[in-house]
Amino acid sequence: MANRWGLPDLGIGIGLRTVHFPHILTEWPQLDWFEVLSENFMDTGGRPLHVLDQVVERYPVALHGVSLGIGNTDPLDREYLKKLKALAARSRAAWVSDHLCWTGVAGRNTHDLLPMPLDEPALRHVTARVREVSDFLERPLVLENPSSYLEFVSSSMPEWEFLARLAEDADCGLLLDVNNVYVSSVNHGFDANAYVDAIPADRVVQYHLAGHLNKGSHLLDTHSDHARPEVWDLYARAVKRTGLVATLYEWDEDIPAFDVVVAEAHKARAAREAFAAAGTSAAPR
Amino acid sequence: MIELSRLQQWMQAVVTHPGEIGDALAAAPALRAEQAIRPSPTLSPAERLAIYQGMYPLRMEEALRSDYPGLAHLVGDDAFAALARAYVATWPSRSYTLNRLGDNLPEFLRQGGGGLRRPDLLADLATLERAVSEVFDAEETPSLTEAEIAAVAPEAWAEAVLEPIAALRLLELRYPAGLWLDAIRAEGDEHRHPKLSRRDSRLVVYRRNYAVYREDLEKPAHALLADLLAGRSLGEALEAALDRPRAPQPERLTGWFRQWASAGLFRAVRFP
Repeated sequence: MANRWGLPDLGIGIGLRTVHFPHILTEWPQLDWFEVLSENFMDTGGRPLHVLDQVVERYPVALHGVSLGIGNTDPLDREYLKKLKALAARSRAAWVSDHLCWTGVAGRNTHDLLPMPLDEPALRHVTARVREVSDFLERPLVLENPSSYLEFVSSSMPEWEFLARLAEDADCGLLLDVNNVYVSSVNHGFDANAYVDAIPADRVVQYHLAGHLNKGSHLLDTHSDHARPEVWDLYARAVKRTGLVATLYEWDEDIPAFDVVVAEAHKARAAREAFAAAGTSAAPR
Repeated sequence: MIELSRLQQWMQAVVTHPGEIGDALAAAPALRAEQAIRPSPTLSPAERLAIYQGMYPLRMEEALRSDYPGLAHLVGDDAFAALARAYVATWPSRSYTLNRLGDNLPEFLRQGGGGLRRPDLLADLATLERAVSEVFDAEETPSLTEAEIAAVAPEAWAEAVLEPIAALRLLELRYPAGLWLDAIRAEGDEHRHPKLSRRDSRLVVYRRNYAVYREDLEKPAHALLADLLAGRSLGEALEAALDRPRAPQPERLTGWFRQWASAGLFRAVRFP
């Protein structure tokens, strides 16, 4: 099943990270695509942007941000949006994503992906802002489900329902982070399978996969390791519903050699090939 | 139902509080944790908030350490962590990018922020590292080419005003902070720490072909380059240099200028 905008299945990619620049620039390795952290390239005219310019000549890229603050109650940062739009044009980004979260209030930025209360007022608030951002960017914003470590008393619906309604009301895409689904399911005690089964399949334009850490009392989304088998199982389940969707492996702490990250990412092939071999179209949403 | 902005202001106050979670909650009495946060089977509302609160200073410290590795090395891990907490309490991030978080750290140190010994030395080192970061990220502006320089008639140079590239910073410090960066970068973990005694240090930091360079300048060279960057014509700047006490020979002054031009420090030459 293609997503409703016809955004392409870019295949299997990894994040473009500084430690891998020398390898990439000398080897130009085989890889389907790169995800680019928007904020790392928005405010530099130096080497990072120079590298990105070369990368986009050889690979498709998508932008992924952490500072949009779509759930913030402060006004949207127009200067940020201008720079984001310019970077998206410069990098010919397939799409632009960020997170369903808030990052700060009263002019401050915690630089964290803080959870939203999952209630009607928050849904209305985020819906209006997603529409504003999509209008400004002249493309549908894509939002990722974050890992979360707390739930608000005021929450009145599960996260998958919030996301599904948001996607419909604001006409946005979804970046389904399967590891985040798993982490949050353990931290909050919900059924991860129910989550991926309820996400509107034709809204999913990208997957994230990553490793996490078990802290005993909770799981912590660290992007520092191989993904757990439970996460791969969840990914396979989701792919059966959405069909082949661009898939990205995130490794941001203790980043190993380029080939190690790519090898981990390529574990996604199994689920993708199983879907292709089944020769069935994905279930309707 | 708690209004969203009120909830966010309360939660931000808690997660950015530098103390223990109990102190953080006590300092944010607008809400009680139980009013806003559900418990999990394993964690209380306060413990769930503490996960976010615990990550905040680590994230800030990591960002500052990335921009100030030499300073972090000089003061040591524990002192740098304490410095980062004290600094962020005064200068929290107000930008979408963490690259700007440490902009005020040199001045914070110079005013004694963090309570560390030798604040002027630390501030000088931070000033140099901030300049390196700024130059690293500055806009790429093409330098004057040899052909463009050669096209200027010799008699016209006296009136010439040089425009510097964006990726350039001129510094005047009271300590030889560059020695410290040289030492810790030269030999990895095996390096020997230089003695950092009070000694004036003048440097130019610039970028060429996406690599950042740092060069020590003699006092008259620094003054000449400062005049050029301030918009004085080459003739005025050279005249001023020759009027200063212990002025170098004119050939040295013009030699420095040629060296800077060939290093790509100037982006344009104009004749007002």
